Amino acid sequence: MKEEKNKKGEARLMKGNEALAEAAIRADIDAYFGYPITPQSEILEYLEREIPKRHGLVIQAESEVASINMIYGAAGAGARVMTSSSSPGISLMQEGLSYIASAQLPCLVANVVRGGPGLGTIQPSQGDYFQAVKGGGHGDYHLIVLAPASVQEMADFVFDGFRLAEKYRNPAMILTDGALGQMMEKVILPEEGSLKKVETPWATTGKPASRDHNIITSLFIQPEKMEEVNHELQEKYKKIQSEVRFEEIQIKDAEIVLVAFGLSSRICQKTVDLAREKGLKVGLLRPITLYPFPFKRLNELAEQVNFMMSVEMNAGQMVQDVKLAVEGKVPVYFKGRMGGMIPTPEDVLEEIESVLDNEKVLQD
Amino acid sequence: MKKTLQDYKSIIEPVWCPGCGDYGILVSIQRALLNLDIDPENIVSVSGIGCSGRLSHFLNTYSLHGTHGRAVPTALGVKAAHPELTVFAVGGDGDGLGIGGGHIAHASRKNVDMNYLLIDNQIYGLTKGQTSPTSPLGVKTKTSPHGVFEDTLDAIPIFLSYDVSFVARANGVDPKSLTQILMEAISHKGMSIVYILSPCRTFPLLDAKGLKAILQPLPEDHPTDNKMVALERAYSDQPIYTGIFYQVQKPTLEDRLQNVITKVCDNTNGGDKYSLDKVLKSFA
Repeated sequence: MKEEKNKKGEARLMKGNEALAEAAIRADIDAYFGYPITPQSEILEYLEREIPKRHGLVIQAESEVASINMIYGAAGAGARVMTSSSSPGISLMQEGLSYIASAQLPCLVANVVRGGPGLGTIQPSQGDYFQAVKGGGHGDYHLIVLAPASVQEMADFVFDGFRLAEKYRNPAMILTDGALGQMMEKVILPEEGSLKKVETPWATTGKPASRDHNIITSLFIQPEKMEEVNHELQEKYKKIQSEVRFEEIQIKDAEIVLVAFGLSSRICQKTVDLAREKGLKVGLLRPITLYPFPFKRLNELAEQVNFMMSVEMNAGQMVQDVKLAVEGKVPVYFKGRMGGMIPTPEDVLEEIESVLDNEKVLQD
Repeated sequence: MKKTLQDYKSIIEPVWCPGCGDYGILVSIQRALLNLDIDPENIVSVSGIGCSGRLSHFLNTYSLHGTHGRAVPTALGVKAAHPELTVFAVGGDGDGLGIGGGHIAHASRKNVDMNYLLIDNQIYGLTKGQTSPTSPLGVKTKTSPHGVFEDTLDAIPIFLSYDVSFVARANGVDPKSLTQILMEAISHKGMSIVYILSPCRTFPLLDAKGLKAILQPLPEDHPTDNKMVALERAYSDQPIYTGIFYQVQKPTLEDRLQNVITKVCDNTNGGDKYSLDKVLKSFA
């Protein structure tokens, strides 16, 4: 959200989806496999148009199930690969993501979330928070999850996503929404070629005789071995905790802290301004990484504030993690809209005021 | 140094039931690769789930064990990333005609240069004897204790109507002819499907003797470029033909992508300044 002063390059006005797609080319992806679904089809369309002029491959798969398995194959062969979809399509990819996480392959998946459940609507939502941060598919695994809040971050997080995915050999997800995908904003795109390629000695790239016979698999039929692999994964997730990122706005003197990610954090930023005008000391903590989640920082903040409020475009998902983080030290409230509806800054302020009124009544 | 069959054998020993048809198929694949002198390090085998899905572990190649029914798109991913490699997708009748059947049409439309070995034992063997899409009408399995009430899926006509550029049926217990067909399939530029009948010994619906009685090689003068003749012979059930039904040359996925690049570059840059080969080398 903050203007990045050090950014070099020409500012362009772009749609979030297109900025993400352009960033993917600039991140030197080797291949993109995708299937159309609103509100993210621009990503596939942009890449189909631009990739043949530049570098990499783009293939429209026959389904999201096919896309994620093409990703599995190409990532296993050592390529830098990406796919994107929106909620129902991401649900179809969960089995593949579980396999990719277990086989420890890097890849990037963008979920431009729409309102659900079911086929739902094409309007923006944050209803896939649980699916994104708790694994989503079967078994004990995690994706690294980044939540952009601007078109600028839609582009930047492609680079950050690949950097993290390749560092940890783990699938990464950009969890965004239909509004961020569709809206146009100023963006300074990351520099082409600035994301270095990593070595992939584990890949199925064809071996000189000196190399080991690589098998990419997620099948470990001996339970002892399977447990060992699980321990290895859990160790990795512990290390990933050090990558936690968040942004704080007017936190220093805050007595009330709003917690919101992505589009909701944009709304809450305005709420903070409105509240401050009324003399309410409201601040905002915006998790930038949703996995890893800023548990520690929220726990520290709980010592300083009267209450927290999680603001989300869903029925209350991240609020559970905020509650876990504060360990009951302060009340944690929730304000949300569902089904593709977006709360306004005034809605959030009203909710804060109603909590304050209730507290006053209790005190009287 | 001259290679031997040993070079294609994985350190992992096969774990199929004694007498399984897949043993013979594994050796036939190894022999075909040896005869064609393809370096094991330049092969990637991708498999799905099921008894035959284990096959990729037993070949001394690079290997990718994928999700159920998705060996074909996964193999496409490997091939897209490394077109210089020989890529196999291996799966059974459940993988390729049940859960994953829909992918074959689309890999065929792209004519991905891969070899799909669809090994049919007419049963779900690894899960211990349930009905598969090719279980014969009326037979009793654990999930059809009163007899299968659905019709059997006839694979070869399906592949022909998908216009797969190489379609063959082989007898899994006739290693000599299977090896020959596999060599042709591997040498074929484009998508090849070798549909291999393989008896399951634990849940026997097919057996070697029965196969021998119903199978017959296609006539020597069978025209492999004539789809109508191929279809007619594919539908024959007395005898059931084995051999190469159909083979045509079409642009492969790699050719098609290169065509797009050339077309776009001709229009925008005034020439072919950018080649797929260069792209792929850049991340090899």
